[in-house]
Amino acid sequence: MTRFTGLFSRRRGRLKRNTSSREGTMRHIATIAAAALAVAALGGSHDAVAADKKFVVGVSNTLIGNGWREEMICSIKAQAKASGIVSKVILANRNGGPPEQIADLRNLISAGANAIIVNPSSRDALNPVIKQAAAKGIVVVAVDQAVSAPEAYVLTNDQVAYGRLGAMWLFEQLHGKGDVVEMRGIDGVPADSDRHQGFTEALQKYPGIHVVAMPFTGWALNTASKQIRDLIASGKQIDGVWTSGIDAVVPEAYQTAHKPFVPTVGADNNGFIGQLLDWKSAGLVGAAATNPASVGGAGLAVALDVLQHKAHPHLIKLTPEVWSNTTDAGMAQLKSVHQEKLDPFYSVATEIKPYTTYTTAQMVACEGP
Amino acid sequence: MTAALLRRHATLLVMPLLVAAFLAVTVAIHPDFGAFDVQSLALGALPLALAAAAQTVVVISGGIDLSVGSLMAVANVLAASTMQHAGFGGALLIAALILLGGALAGAVNGAVLVFSRVPDVVVTLAAGFIWGGIALLILEQPGGGAPQGFLDLAGGTLGGAWLPNALVLLVVVVAAVWLPVRHSRLGLTLYAIGSDRTAAFRSGVGVDRTRLIAYVVGGVFSALGGLALTMTTGIGSPLSGTYYTLSGLAAVVVGGVSLTGGRGGMAGPMFAAYILTLIPTDLIFLNIDPNYGQVIQGTLIVLVVMGGGLATLLRTRA
Repeated sequence: MTRFTGLFSRRRGRLKRNTSSREGTMRHIATIAAAALAVAALGGSHDAVAADKKFVVGVSNTLIGNGWREEMICSIKAQAKASGIVSKVILANRNGGPPEQIADLRNLISAGANAIIVNPSSRDALNPVIKQAAAKGIVVVAVDQAVSAPEAYVLTNDQVAYGRLGAMWLFEQLHGKGDVVEMRGIDGVPADSDRHQGFTEALQKYPGIHVVAMPFTGWALNTASKQIRDLIASGKQIDGVWTSGIDAVVPEAYQTAHKPFVPTVGADNNGFIGQLLDWKSAGLVGAAATNPASVGGAGLAVALDVLQHKAHPHLIKLTPEVWSNTTDAGMAQLKSVHQEKLDPFYSVATEIKPYTTYTTAQMVACEGP
Repeated sequence: MTAALLRRHATLLVMPLLVAAFLAVTVAIHPDFGAFDVQSLALGALPLALAAAAQTVVVISGGIDLSVGSLMAVANVLAASTMQHAGFGGALLIAALILLGGALAGAVNGAVLVFSRVPDVVVTLAAGFIWGGIALLILEQPGGGAPQGFLDLAGGTLGGAWLPNALVLLVVVVAAVWLPVRHSRLGLTLYAIGSDRTAAFRSGVGVDRTRLIAYVVGGVFSALGGLALTMTTGIGSPLSGTYYTLSGLAAVVVGGVSLTGGRGGMAGPMFAAYILTLIPTDLIFLNIDPNYGQVIQGTLIVLVVMGGGLATLLRTRA
């Protein structure tokens, strides 16, 4: 039934923009009409009328099994539901690179999406298909990482600043002298290169800081956990650790090894923030750089606005904040954002004002329309 | 006589029917399925089909190549980083050089495993890691480009909207590389060493030489796969090959090529690549989590292998 409402809305709502590819439509009018009647007969007459203005949203994500990405998708579903004008969210969610994502985007176009929220696997490779989508009147919003297609809207955290601000805090903490570990993300992915660029910018200002190891965690917990345990066991001098968001494993490894904590930089993940609060008395010094996963929901809000002819700039950059447990203000901030019930690997910034309109509970429920 | 022919070419009969069945299901769940979708399918299947072709040659000869995906990535980033400012002619020249490089890379794989006697799995697994690293050294992050004319080799629709270039290109290049091999003495020896290496040796087949050539042909197909990635994405991406080693192997198995060697053909895996590309598409149309695609793919492989085993069993009893 949902499927038919979706089709129905698409035909009625988007017919103007899609006429060229809709030559086969006449043949199916009868089917659709029957489906609409069925919807009405099932007591959904109100839905059928409302469906007139409802949109279909496609989501493309190519990194699965990652808490942050899951939260991003949940925020899209929650925003879709809260908006009241989305009939269906279609997920194209699998591990892959640009070729797989291009295929997914083409399929989402074909499945009748009015807006597509994409976490891009490449800055440039998706441009031709984004152009095709735009030509069909589909609003494409890239979240988390940027695309270079001028047709797309881009809503991201400033990843260069994320790398720089966190690293500056760490180097400041070490008084500009010491050996640090830079735990990166996935080699060859834009967000990782951007953060590394920011980290390097900070490094240039502190000549006394040396990077003793630079492992790629693949943004995977088990990998990162093994890497930090190996580093501790190697007996190398480590005065501080910067992570690209796989953070909680670092203090954990130090605790398991019965070694004193070293200053650690992570992201605004619930579990890490819990550690910063709970283990401060045990000597853990650290800071969380914000990287809200709710960029997904915010991206959808922008897309829905554009579909309703409300203008937005094509580039929206969120500046990260750094919350450290060394200052009173930072502690107050950390306390206010920490949520006992939230998944430890979810980002605590569950909302992005003024874009998202759902409640945190709605996002945690992870239910679409 | 006809029965024997049918049996021999069973996959040639079954696979198109299977593709047709999958297409029918797709049209049933998504009546709007049109030229745009046919093009999506052909574009999506092209690199996978070429990865499967690379694997097919090696598997028929009784080996296995776990470096296919990484070699594709190297070809992909090499093409994208050198073609960026080239014209169409220059791009074709670069493509030819890359194919030569692919053949060389295959020859290195083959030579190492023939002379060292280290098992194929070990040598090609190690080679896979090496190529993966080299791809990242050539291009640290996605970038580069290729002239539009080169991209249109796969992306265009010269033969009308319903006949995408990606499909024509696949048929042409696979036929151009495989048919001369298949219908020569070399083809016969490939199957011979795949089905029984000792018997082939005793019949005077140069086993080492043939194994090496299988990897050379495989290397050419891998390089073609990498070029296809450049054509379909327009850029070089050092991690792009990751999925093609195992997906290609899956297409080989679904396509009716025996993993123990010596049995199967090239057409089966090509059709299988189309089927494996259709599965995630259908799941998007049905709005089911595409992660089930892997479950379905795995189930399909088991069913196909079991079906193949059952057919063999019935044949020996009859």
